[in-house]
Amino acid sequence: MKAYRILISGIVQGVGFRPFIYRIAVKSNVYGYVKNLGGSEVEVKIIGREENISKFFSLLFSKIPPPAKIEKILIEEENIQDIHEFKILPSGNVVNEPSQIPPDLSICDDCLREILNPKDRRYKYPFNSCAYCGPRYSMLYKIPYDRENTAMRDFPLCDKCKAEYEDPENERRFDAQGISCPICGPKVFLSTIDGEIIQDKDPIATAAKLIEEGYILAIKGIGGFHIAANPFDDDVVIKLRERKNRPQQPFALMALSVDVIKKYAEVSQLEEELLKSLERPIVLLKKKEYSEISKYVSPYLDREGFFLYYTGLHYLLLDNLKEKISIMTSGNKHALPMCTDEECVKTKLKGVVDYVLYHNRKIVNRVDDSVIRISAGRIMFLRRSRGYAPTWIRIKKKLRKVAVAVGAELQNVGAVAFDDKVILTQYIGDTDELNTLEDLEKYIKFFLNTYHLTPQVIIADKNPAYQSTRLASKLSEEYSAELVQVQHHLAHGLSAMAEYGLQEAVGIIIDGIGYGDDGNGWGGEVINIKDHGEKYSREYHLKYVPYTGGDINSLKPDRMLALFLSTFMDWNEIRNYVKLNDMELKVLEYQTRKNRLFTSSTGRFLDSVSALLDICHYRTYEGEPAIKLEAFARNGKLLDFEFPIINNEIDTTSAFKWIIENGIQDKPSIAYTIQYKLGKALVQAALKLNPEKIVVSGGASVNEYILKGMIENSEGVEILTQSKVPPGDGGIALGQVYYISEEK
Amino acid sequence: MSYNKIQISHGNGGKETQQLLQRLFFSRLPLELKRVKGGVGIDYPDDGAVLQNNLVVATDSHTVNPYFFPGGDIGYLAVSGTLNDVIMMGAKPIAMLDSIVVSEGFPIDDLEKITGSMIELLKKYNIPLVGGDFKVIEETAMKNSIIINTVGLGVVETGSPIVDAIKPGDKIIVTGPVGVHGAVIAAMQYNISTNLKSDVRPLFELLEVFSKFKGYVHAARDPTRGGLAATLNEWAQLTGNVIVIEEAKVPVLEDVKAITEVTGLDPLNLASEGVGVLAVDSNVEDDVLETLKSLGFEPASIGYVVEPKSEKGIVVAKTAVGGAKILEMPTGDIVPRIC
Ligand SMILES: [Fe+3]
Ligand SMILES: [Mg+2]
Ligand SMILES: [Zn+2]
Ligand SMILES: [Zn+2]
Repeated sequence: MKAYRILISGIVQGVGFRPFIYRIAVKSNVYGYVKNLGGSEVEVKIIGREENISKFFSLLFSKIPPPAKIEKILIEEENIQDIHEFKILPSGNVVNEPSQIPPDLSICDDCLREILNPKDRRYKYPFNSCAYCGPRYSMLYKIPYDRENTAMRDFPLCDKCKAEYEDPENERRFDAQGISCPICGPKVFLSTIDGEIIQDKDPIATAAKLIEEGYILAIKGIGGFHIAANPFDDDVVIKLRERKNRPQQPFALMALSVDVIKKYAEVSQLEEELLKSLERPIVLLKKKEYSEISKYVSPYLDREGFFLYYTGLHYLLLDNLKEKISIMTSGNKHALPMCTDEECVKTKLKGVVDYVLYHNRKIVNRVDDSVIRISAGRIMFLRRSRGYAPTWIRIKKKLRKVAVAVGAELQNVGAVAFDDKVILTQYIGDTDELNTLEDLEKYIKFFLNTYHLTPQVIIADKNPAYQSTRLASKLSEEYSAELVQVQHHLAHGLSAMAEYGLQEAVGIIIDGIGYGDDGNGWGGEVINIKDHGEKYSREYHLKYVPYTGGDINSLKPDRMLALFLSTFMDWNEIRNYVKLNDMELKVLEYQTRKNRLFTSSTGRFLDSVSALLDICHYRTYEGEPAIKLEAFARNGKLLDFEFPIINNEIDTTSAFKWIIENGIQDKPSIAYTIQYKLGKALVQAALKLNPEKIVVSGGASVNEYILKGMIENSEGVEILTQSKVPPGDGGIALGQVYYISEEK
Repeated sequence: MSYNKIQISHGNGGKETQQLLQRLFFSRLPLELKRVKGGVGIDYPDDGAVLQNNLVVATDSHTVNPYFFPGGDIGYLAVSGTLNDVIMMGAKPIAMLDSIVVSEGFPIDDLEKITGSMIELLKKYNIPLVGGDFKVIEETAMKNSIIINTVGLGVVETGSPIVDAIKPGDKIIVTGPVGVHGAVIAAMQYNISTNLKSDVRPLFELLEVFSKFKGYVHAARDPTRGGLAATLNEWAQLTGNVIVIEEAKVPVLEDVKAITEVTGLDPLNLASEGVGVLAVDSNVEDDVLETLKSLGFEPASIGYVVEPKSEKGIVVAKTAVGGAKILEMPTGDIVPRIC
């Protein structure tokens, strides 16, 4: 006989962990108890024969419930006690580590089986969930994750559900906070956009019919509303684009199965795993050469965003569609946050959708879908949100101070950090928009309150034009906290270093534009980072070119192209290569003469190549010209061109000279070569610093071909990319926090 | 960025000017020397100062490149600008002083045209020019340029001067399309052809509005340098209240839009020289609009004042799609925000 005390921390509450321990203890014939310590720790005591104890451990590690995550486990041998049963003991309140807010999870296979079984009492029940699945964060008012702290408090358990909830033998429903059934749970309604309810036995089936007929519907999900539409009908997709004021940005497609997705896109094994994971992100997949999906769903792109259903409601809806797939794009108007209640839909989506399929469970926290792509075999987050946030990320250092990081500005994410934990918010959005900025503040404060923290340091970008910087100074006053500002690209580099626990590295940061230490717009930088960023030096960068006129250069790539060309061409000649009228040319010429601002942006360089190759002349969504340039390079070959490195500048203007001298013929190969060779040049510059590790970050680091150019030319030095948080601005907050981390 | 030398942006009428003047004057003058006892002085940013007995005084230096422009010249500008500053205090202008600095080599013909414009306006509105000064500066210091400073005196005939103090509930009215003068100057500097003419002119008619709606006009400004954005931000900062404007309601001429679209300038930051912005009690909103129309203006109600929620003293611009952005005090550098 032996006895052990096991201390487990991680995501072990609200995921059926104690009943699981109970069951495997009974199965392996050991005695003892399991107990929530309060916070995110569970204590287990087991007593039994050695072979039974080893059976217990092997079950513990092999059969752990899917949403549970063990971050730390401590096993100590103890004295044998005279216990002859295994018990679930009432929760304690010794908080060593606060209880972690659980993220939203997709419906599990068991729950799905129930709603597809005509004999089950939950047949066709859209809100079915169990201990292992269902919404969490999106319906949470506060922790601990108990039913009365969630939106499910409006739905008291019926007798049958209550019996399941109280039965420890019930694997999936014992102590499961979110469970319900058709008797006691939320209800679904279908109405017109004007609020006229359509009386119907099966509103979900009717909604599916409406989608097939070409109507556009708002659909209430778990973290917000989606907009659903038929992806096969060009007219419908165009109509949706017009109504949403979204001319080019791709729409995501939700499907019933991976087999359905495989009809339209290539799916690798890794991608299939991501699609099927409980987090259910949107995965950007390579389109098949011939696809029946309307080309207006992802215009001029070689990738299309797919995800699988993640609630019973989604499943039932898609199952009623002939092709088992629908457009499911976020329910907002251009640049505004997604709607989370019916009132918002009625006012903001009037004129966009025709019907609304909704339910009476409140969405407490807006949680957008996550977006992932694989580039050069690596997982890259474009958006880390539903399923992942707000799970904390552990860093290798302990913070002495409670920190709040406000991130950057567009596609923004903030963070609250304490100890060795960084809690990134879900995707917040463009915080130059006031309502969105208020959301950033709201969720930062939600985490501060939830984890009972008072910030001692607030971290912001150095850009004085960011509204988030304004928020930071307000918060620093409010909490009498120190205000620290971190250079944008240093924060990008630190974000990657935080993922790998590095103290020093050479960072290749390829990005749009961030505020540089010299007041210029940085964005193509090789930075030598030491001591968590306390010391850093910018060693190489893309050649400085004039940047005049502000953000319109980002919107109109031809302006930026003209600015690149102006470094070696006179204005009479420039007009032959850019799509700008005389007035714009004159203004640019005048402005460059008086110009004081320069940029080394990678994004603007790629935009300009995109314009010169006649691929994209107007940006309607973030990164569009560069993303289309990447798509264009799909079948390109490597041509003979290298970027010169002159002093500390990578001479980007040479690319334009090369293209113009050789004439624009094989565009895919030109596009491919420029991107690949830019990666090569950047890594060559980085190698001059004899780095042990190279980290790559910034919005452009998701670019397949730049990445390839780096990896294939790194002379064996490891190229580390980000896989836990977005390398784009959605990961800035992690880097900001890492900047202030200290070992003390 | 902080500088130890004067930058062109220090004169933009926005953030940089505010910060510099804070350093040079506001932080160094004792309160009793910031105003006449019982009056309003530089302790309170407005168009002009109030001395005892409802006497208003305002001053402004005018410099513009080029000094002749469609719709006027620097002479018109120098007289109108200062008269408007007096008028926007609710006072009737009674006298003017001028002071001209001109560079060696400046064409006398041009000077004659410019002073001719000044005299034309003084005659039209019957304002005596009671004093002045004239200086010439070496060509090496200032090339082919002219600076005209004017001082305007005015009297508030009945009631009290309009010392800008917006109140929650107030409506914000502009008397005509904004940014025209600024757009004309930008077009000339960039060598863009345009049909626009500067809107420069004195706004005497507004005195009728102020006397008719005595006590109901809580603030009045002519949004010159820094444009509407600077005026509204100053008002918001003065009281801590929040101004909300609806972008779509702000009248901007198509020709102005065409210029701002290619230059990256914002019409809300561009100067007007013949437009007033008023904050009026909501009860008189419609009447004020009617009265303005009857006086030949093309007014528009563009927003309102609310009590601050989480942030004090800001200006919020509601966008066409139903969003909202903070309308910043103009700054000299256009710092990119798009990553
Ligand atoms: Fe960035
Ligand atoms: Mg006034
Ligand atoms: Zn389940
Ligand atoms: Zn029930």
